[in-house]
Amino acid sequence: MHIPDGFIPFPQYVVYWVIALVALYFSMQWARRELKERQIPLFAVLAAGIFAIQAMNIPIPWGTSGHMVGAALVAIVFASPWAAVLLLSIVLILQGLIFGDGGLTALGANIFNMGVIGGFTGYYLFRALRSAGEIPAVAVASWASIFLAAIACAIEMWIAGTFPLVEGLWMMGLYHAVIGIIEAAITVVVVIAIENSRPDLFKFSEWGEKKGVASK
Amino acid sequence: MNARDKKFMVGGILIALIIAILAPFLASENPDGLESTAEKVMPNPETEPVVESPLPDYTIPVLGESRVGGSIAMVLGTALVLGLAYGVGVILGRRETEADEGK
Repeated sequence: MHIPDGFIPFPQYVVYWVIALVALYFSMQWARRELKERQIPLFAVLAAGIFAIQAMNIPIPWGTSGHMVGAALVAIVFASPWAAVLLLSIVLILQGLIFGDGGLTALGANIFNMGVIGGFTGYYLFRALRSAGEIPAVAVASWASIFLAAIACAIEMWIAGTFPLVEGLWMMGLYHAVIGIIEAAITVVVVIAIENSRPDLFKFSEWGEKKGVASK
Repeated sequence: MNARDKKFMVGGILIALIIAILAPFLASENPDGLESTAEKVMPNPETEPVVESPLPDYTIPVLGESRVGGSIAMVLGTALVLGLAYGVGVILGRRETEADEGK
């Protein structure tokens, strides 16, 4: 879902850059307030793992492939959408700068779609659905984080004059509805693994307590 | 960092490295959802990056398109992300206060 250079015209990409920088500012405030010293190894390891797994494109039908994004995973594990914005920004900046994955002019839009939309969708949907069962809530929230980021991307491409609206929405929506299933499966496995190996860092029973929720 | 955190980090890094090394061998060559849409709806979807990246498309330029080169690029990238995220965490993160100790 990484937008390359040339897909978004000049005045528009500046708008996404501004949104991304504001979001990055708030995510840094989150880290100041909430990122505890003992959570730093988890933060760093998740960033490395998400970077690596994003490169592993899995084939889906229609001669297309898809990869994990990981924003919902980070937002749920750290009980804050801002954690996802910060971590995904780190991953996306290095991908854009060093590997040419996503254009540098489009970096703001990529942070907005995958970090902000992915993170907020994952966090708030998990929070809303949690009472219906934590694992199903993780699955639905992470699926929707991919799907909605793709829908946003399709609309941006339409505003940019790059994709036609209906075709863009259909294809982006359809492909990412399938990619979202991969996202959901991996997110559920990783969340369960972290809860089992380090309940001191992440536990459903303590989720949101004195973290994210109280301070928005 | 205590022994438990160290063990967790080593385990996490190993998993990330295994994925990084395998990614170029296992990843699908098919275009991703966005590229695939672009190929179908745009007359000429090829675009030039504004700035040439040092390791374009997760390859080491001197090694060409080889998968081993891809693995090396991925391992480098994984190490960079790990270091940067850890550094950002240390610089921005909040110090452990006494209130946290009980948890």
